[in-house]
Amino acid sequence: MNNTILHINSVSKSFSHSIKKLNGDVSKEEYCVLDKIDLQVQKGKITAIIGSNGAGKTTLFNIVSGLLNTDKGELFYTPNGKKYNLRKISPYKLARIGIGRMFQDNHIFPKLTVMENMLIADTDPYGENAFTSFFYHRKKRKIEKERKLRAEQIFEMLFGKANPFCEKQEDYAETLSYGQQRLLGLARLFMGNYKLVLLDEPTAGVNPVLVKKIAEIIRKMVDKRQMTILLIEHNMPFVESLADLCVFINTGKIETAGSVVEVLDNPHVRENYLGKRTTKRNSTDAQA
Amino acid sequence: MFIQFLINGLITGSIYALVSLGFALVYNTTRIFHIAYAILYMIAPYFLMTFLIKLQISPILSILIAISLTIIVSLATELFVYAPLVKKKSSPNVLMISSIGVMIIAINLVALCYGNETKIINPSLSDSYKIGNIIITYNQIIQFITSSVFIGLFMVFLKFSKFGIMTRAMRDDTELCKVFSMNVPGFRLVLFAISGLFAAIGGILTAWDFGMDPYVGMPMLLNAIVALIIGGIGKFQAPVIGGLVLGVLQALSVLVFSANWKDAIAFSVLVLFLLFRPQGFIGEKRRLV
Amino acid sequence: MNYVFHILIMINIYIILSVSTNLLVGMANLLSLGQAAFYGIGAYVTAYALIGLGLPLLPTLLLAMGVTAIFSFLLAYISLKLEGDYFILATLGFQIIIFTILYNWIDVTRGPYGIPGIPSPKLFGLVKIEGITGYIILSTILSAITIFVFYKIINSPFGRALKGMRDDEIAMISLGKNITVLKVEAFVLSSAFVAIAGFIYASYISYIDPTSFNLDEAIFILTAILIGGTGNIKGPVIGAVFVVLLPEILRFVGMPDNLAANMRMIIYGLTLIILMRYRPQGIAGEYKFSK
Repeated sequence: MNNTILHINSVSKSFSHSIKKLNGDVSKEEYCVLDKIDLQVQKGKITAIIGSNGAGKTTLFNIVSGLLNTDKGELFYTPNGKKYNLRKISPYKLARIGIGRMFQDNHIFPKLTVMENMLIADTDPYGENAFTSFFYHRKKRKIEKERKLRAEQIFEMLFGKANPFCEKQEDYAETLSYGQQRLLGLARLFMGNYKLVLLDEPTAGVNPVLVKKIAEIIRKMVDKRQMTILLIEHNMPFVESLADLCVFINTGKIETAGSVVEVLDNPHVRENYLGKRTTKRNSTDAQA
Repeated sequence: MFIQFLINGLITGSIYALVSLGFALVYNTTRIFHIAYAILYMIAPYFLMTFLIKLQISPILSILIAISLTIIVSLATELFVYAPLVKKKSSPNVLMISSIGVMIIAINLVALCYGNETKIINPSLSDSYKIGNIIITYNQIIQFITSSVFIGLFMVFLKFSKFGIMTRAMRDDTELCKVFSMNVPGFRLVLFAISGLFAAIGGILTAWDFGMDPYVGMPMLLNAIVALIIGGIGKFQAPVIGGLVLGVLQALSVLVFSANWKDAIAFSVLVLFLLFRPQGFIGEKRRLV
Repeated sequence: MNYVFHILIMINIYIILSVSTNLLVGMANLLSLGQAAFYGIGAYVTAYALIGLGLPLLPTLLLAMGVTAIFSFLLAYISLKLEGDYFILATLGFQIIIFTILYNWIDVTRGPYGIPGIPSPKLFGLVKIEGITGYIILSTILSAITIFVFYKIINSPFGRALKGMRDDEIAMISLGKNITVLKVEAFVLSSAFVAIAGFIYASYISYIDPTSFNLDEAIFILTAILIGGTGNIKGPVIGAVFVVLLPEILRFVGMPDNLAANMRMIIYGLTLIILMRYRPQGIAGEYKFSK
């Protein structure tokens, strides 16, 4: 109990929509996207959620990050003794209590500069209201300076001394390549004081070199910032090399959970998701 | 008194319903906030006046010509303003602003050609019928029958023809329509033509009774939009329900307050709906994520 | 000379209107069709404060801004829950309702007759703002202050947050930003400064009636900033200068007055359409309405 940071207790979610046939009959159909999901996320661990498309993984993330309501079930977040009921907290407050999220598509700010993308990611919103834009210039300047310093340190820690981000910090973020945008999205998460980070397919659409880099960054999140990672991923070698625990979701239910090796070798998972293994496992190979 | 106002409201409401349906036809399928729609309503009676009074052409022919010209204006708006922007994948706001531009140009062109003052097409006073102590004018009967017939025909058409199925498909998913190799740009022209037709009929019916000036389009468009919202966006029956309700509501507000307040009341109702029932009477809720 | 001064005062008024509206349209991506209503509220409050209460300049100005801010807060509270088109509709509705009230509540607003004889305000009860020179100084100072304030805002972390929200609301939420509060703040701030324009207009012209604050005026304000461009200070200022100067230029080239009124509107409309097609950021703006 003490070691759990996120409690997902029998959470269910279904979408309903009415179908109208050409003859005028209306029938209501319910899609059960999540069916009594129970998951205890271990503090300081990397938990990977795997499962085929449409299994409900992203829906689960949307529920944890407050963008969707649950139909049934409870969500508790216990970072350090305190217990938060996530169903009762508005979405924007989640980042302030330490839940971060990276989206499947990058969701960086294209019309802000690279540096502004970092500065805005500070979860402490000081200076970001109308009132302080008139007053407290000295304090505001000090905080902005400190934010900038922090951003530069993060870039240096993640990408080394001469990195493209520091060089391009005054350019619009839309000028970065797709892969760089993704790295920026991850670097942004170091600006806040996050305890639990939800990563939605961090390696989708990036090349093998970057996959390695991303794995490195995620390791640093855990080692240097003591973040807990919840990860949706389709790239199995990536999961094997990185994750501590693994959860297999199929048609809205958690079917298998345990250590990565256990889950990936589970015959049921093989049959329903991974397919037959043809080559011996090679954990650093990026091609799934 | 009450029943008299109720009937007046229903008759005005039927015109709202027709005009609102034309707006909904474009809005539901293309998501263009088609403000320039207002000028179609305004311009049709001016065309009619030109042919009927200036050129002395027979009424039926004049009406047909006026409606055709209005449809051409509607098509031109789509072809020369909206379609290129859609091709460039411009945002909805850009389309709406361009639409405002079209409206400004058309209103001022009409004002230049015909002047700012109110013009009358049909100077004679309409005959009226008395049933008990309820008075209905001949014009009102024409208005109600014409708009009902067109709404009815459209509904039947929507339900049973290939056109109807395509319209409903466009409403649900334009991208998917492209995938199924539907000629979306061509089909949009059909939609704009029909919406132009409805605006023209509504405009002529009203102007025949009350006359027109270059600024009549905007208040009517606002009523059409309010009717659409309180009916519910997304369904084609909705503007009809909304239009009738709005017509009755305005007539009753004239009875209770005075005619001056009816715009404010229409929009207060709109705001209430936006707040408490944004999906309108029969619309569907939109999902955020 | 008076003619040039009059034009300059009108330019100042429209600079205030467009620079403050830019915070909504260009920074927060909230296209509002209700700005003329706030302009009108500012003007009417000014008229009452100067005629009825006999207040001096600064209290009148602050009262006009304050009352307008309260109205805009109410509208923001109602309309900001709504998205996209619905938001525009709510502001449109507000515009119509305010206009109808100004036009029809004759006991209070004198309706279409308007309010004549608005006296000049006194600064600290001493200096009376008088004559066209007085107003050119007053309006220039106020528009300079407005430009300065909005320059500060745009380049502050608040401005950055607004830009972020304009780009991507979901990402802002995930970074712990309360976007509702951001929008309300932008809305109230913008309307309060629009009231300054109302203040200058009412006391300078010394007569107001509802038709100066109708939907056409709201669209006109929008036209000004869309032609100039949004997202920075330069764009709205250029737009304001353009829309005020164009009719004068038309008059200068010898177009008869009865034609010029319609011609200038046609030119605005054409400019809007052409700009939206080829240059959505306007003459000198930054924001391209890309979302």
